[in-house]
Amino acid sequence: MTVVARSAAPRKRKRDLVTLGLGAWSILVYIFLFLPITYVVIYSFTKSDSFLVWGGRSLKGYRLLFDNEQLKHSIGNSLKVAVGATVLSVILGGLAGIALARRGGKWTKPFMLLVFLILVTPEIVDAIGYLTWFIKLAEWWSPFRWLFREGLSPLFIGHSLFSSAVVTLIVRARMAGLDESLEEAAADLYAPPSTAFRQITLPLVAPALLAGGLLSFTFSLDNTIVSQFVSGPNSATFPVYVFSTLHSILRPDIGAAATLMFLVTLLALALVALVLRRAGDTGSEIATTITGVA
Amino acid sequence: MVEAAASDAAGRNLGAVAEKPPRARRRWLPKFILALPSWFWYLSFFVVPLVLVTINSFGAKVKGSAGRVDLSNPSLDRYRDTLNGTYFDVLTKTLRISLIGTALCLLIGFPIAYWLAVRVPQRWRGVLLGLVIIPFWTNFLVRTLAWRIMLAPKGFLSNFLQSNSLRGSPIRVLDTASAVQIGVVYNYLPLMIFPVFVALDRLDPALREASKDLGANRIRTFFQVTLPLAAPGVVAGLLLVFIPLAGDYITAAVLGGAKGNMAGALVASQFLTAQNNALGSAVAVVLIISILLIIAASGIISISVRTILRRRRAVSLDPSPVAA
Repeated sequence: MTVVARSAAPRKRKRDLVTLGLGAWSILVYIFLFLPITYVVIYSFTKSDSFLVWGGRSLKGYRLLFDNEQLKHSIGNSLKVAVGATVLSVILGGLAGIALARRGGKWTKPFMLLVFLILVTPEIVDAIGYLTWFIKLAEWWSPFRWLFREGLSPLFIGHSLFSSAVVTLIVRARMAGLDESLEEAAADLYAPPSTAFRQITLPLVAPALLAGGLLSFTFSLDNTIVSQFVSGPNSATFPVYVFSTLHSILRPDIGAAATLMFLVTLLALALVALVLRRAGDTGSEIATTITGVA
Repeated sequence: MVEAAASDAAGRNLGAVAEKPPRARRRWLPKFILALPSWFWYLSFFVVPLVLVTINSFGAKVKGSAGRVDLSNPSLDRYRDTLNGTYFDVLTKTLRISLIGTALCLLIGFPIAYWLAVRVPQRWRGVLLGLVIIPFWTNFLVRTLAWRIMLAPKGFLSNFLQSNSLRGSPIRVLDTASAVQIGVVYNYLPLMIFPVFVALDRLDPALREASKDLGANRIRTFFQVTLPLAAPGVVAGLLLVFIPLAGDYITAAVLGGAKGNMAGALVASQFLTAQNNALGSAVAVVLIISILLIIAASGIISISVRTILRRRRAVSLDPSPVAA
């Protein structure tokens, strides 16, 4: 009897000191996380000449942004690179993730080691690697110089490496959790591999591809270090532009641009959450899929 | 007869199917065929560049050139340069900031991950975890810049502390190592919360209850049941925070001013400004090696601590004491 009483007691005590303490701590952490981005949004409406100084309300930042061709160009570059890198990462990572989950073998271990190494290499090391290698490639292979030294293509390559490793892991986790019998049934019903892939496998991994794609997109928008190293003339991305103005006056148009881009990513995020919910995931599952820690 | 023939034909058909299942058609393809594009990508844009950087680190700068490396006399001179004086100071400072930052992320992040996974009702979990992600989706540089607003001598934090008589004078944190420390904790905290949350979320509550039913108090349950089972998530979080943090120099460039030099910035300036790619490569190699050494060392320490604890806690299953 005493044993029963003891086991029931802690489950009933939901509102005790420890829970309250944890809750209070979590609220503080949320404030810590949200205060800076609230400042970004508010200060994008500053009247002063600097993004970092409040001088009353105005739409100056947004007007400056509208007239700043260089900044607008860099935002355009950022979005184009993000789309390109996302497409590359989703294709590479999607195929590799399916292969890992369904065609595992001797190759799996060295491949996973490579994926792990890519995930743990500091970005600056990747960046100098690209620069060194791209210069060499452009020398040896001068007709293809444009591919490695000009325009946005070096950025596509540079941004897709890390992201494709992340997509690989997300897709592998999703596939490992799915029953293989559906694909086998398709094969038993004489569906050619390509049809089975298109009609069974692809719809099943779609949420993972979507989540991985969203992550790749935001990683690419955030990427500063690799972009600084490999972007050629006229292909500066938004972070590269911001970083280059860091030592002069930071104009409020930077805040305006950041706020607008934040809104765009929030919309994308909401869209993905909606799609995942329709695919039948719970809130927890959606959040873990989106963050890529599946 | 006809029926027999039909059933015979059906049987043979079945036999044919059993002999040669349609799945066999794809067996001739090598198993890794779908991963082939990734193999190509990783070898040509990860392995080869890293090998090149390592080779260059043994070379010397061609004087007056834009970043050319002379490899005719390979030597360890660049490594000697790296481990001397100022470079070594920056490296140790970088590793100190990274280690403290990682520890702070764990201390701040673990309780909220635990709260989300264990105490928050299932219904709210997704939304609240989503809220942790949102700041992560604002631009890295711009959200770091926001700390320049907040930490400014006339900024929010300074005014708040002064108006509550917690401080007599404006704070002077900007452009110091403390500002960098705050910035990196802010930038990398979500990377700690996610994996720890997932590990705790997968943990069966029945295990904790069993521990309580067996008479363990909360502290003992936490340290002997919850924490060991969440260990993989904690390790993942530590790696996810420590490694990018050790290579990050953007946060330091925004918040640390002249004193905010991190090892990554040395590498970047050797490549982009001084155009001494050999030295920059050597600094990068030393950075990677020290990161790996620290990970290996902490791995060995935690494994040996666990072994010692397990030995001390070991319960003897020898029946004689019970009989006595």
